[in-house]
Amino acid sequence: MTMRPSLRKFALTTHVTFSVGWIGGVVVYLTLGVAAVTSQDTQTVRAAWTAMELTGWFAIVPMALASLLTGLVMSLGTKWGLFRHYWTLISFVLTVLATVVLLLHMRDVSFLAAVAQEAEGARLEELGGDLLHPGLGLVVLLVIQVLNVYKPRGLTRYGWRKQQEQRTVRQP
Amino acid sequence: MSQTPVKPDRESPPSTPRWVKVLAIIALIVVLLIIIALVTDLGGPHGPGRHMPSGEPAGYIAAIGHGGQQL
Repeated sequence: MTMRPSLRKFALTTHVTFSVGWIGGVVVYLTLGVAAVTSQDTQTVRAAWTAMELTGWFAIVPMALASLLTGLVMSLGTKWGLFRHYWTLISFVLTVLATVVLLLHMRDVSFLAAVAQEAEGARLEELGGDLLHPGLGLVVLLVIQVLNVYKPRGLTRYGWRKQQEQRTVRQP
Repeated sequence: MSQTPVKPDRESPPSTPRWVKVLAIIALIVVLLIIIALVTDLGGPHGPGRHMPSGEPAGYIAAIGHGGQQL
């Protein structure tokens, strides 16, 4: 089922908005993570962890889920399909992977944000920040972004079979 | 680096593009590094314990739940 051009444009705008919002949210999270690692001020570290938890649950997670959903709508509602081209398939797999890791990791972030509110002095310093997960996540999101913009060539076996079927139907 | 476009053969499925192979190798290396880091505890344990001096977050949160006493 292919979407009408006006609907396709609306869906694309929505998908780009959520996807870029997801990247922006992760950049904000990383900035707060750097503040939590580098600051010597107790209030700053506590505030950073609280903000990281809020940013994660109320900005990054909704953006990730919305991006995954709108991405599915875009792939299934256009000529690209979900499994026909390598770039759509890899984008989908990486998005699912990033979303699952995000949801699992956010439970740890909530726990550590609670700890940060209670910890003092050296214990608070040892809490550190959270740079590894968002750092790797940002790299994955940028790879997805590049794939979605450049749309590199390459049909999967499934895509090739579908293409052959369509050609056969057109040339009986 | 230039890639010569290959005309698709209608009799056989197209071969996997080079960029997919490169991406797969990079992904494999990253996954192996993550597995090695998890197995060897390189850089500390995974999860909240990584941020805890004792490495036991459960005890820490239990202490918080009982009046905010530190371990």
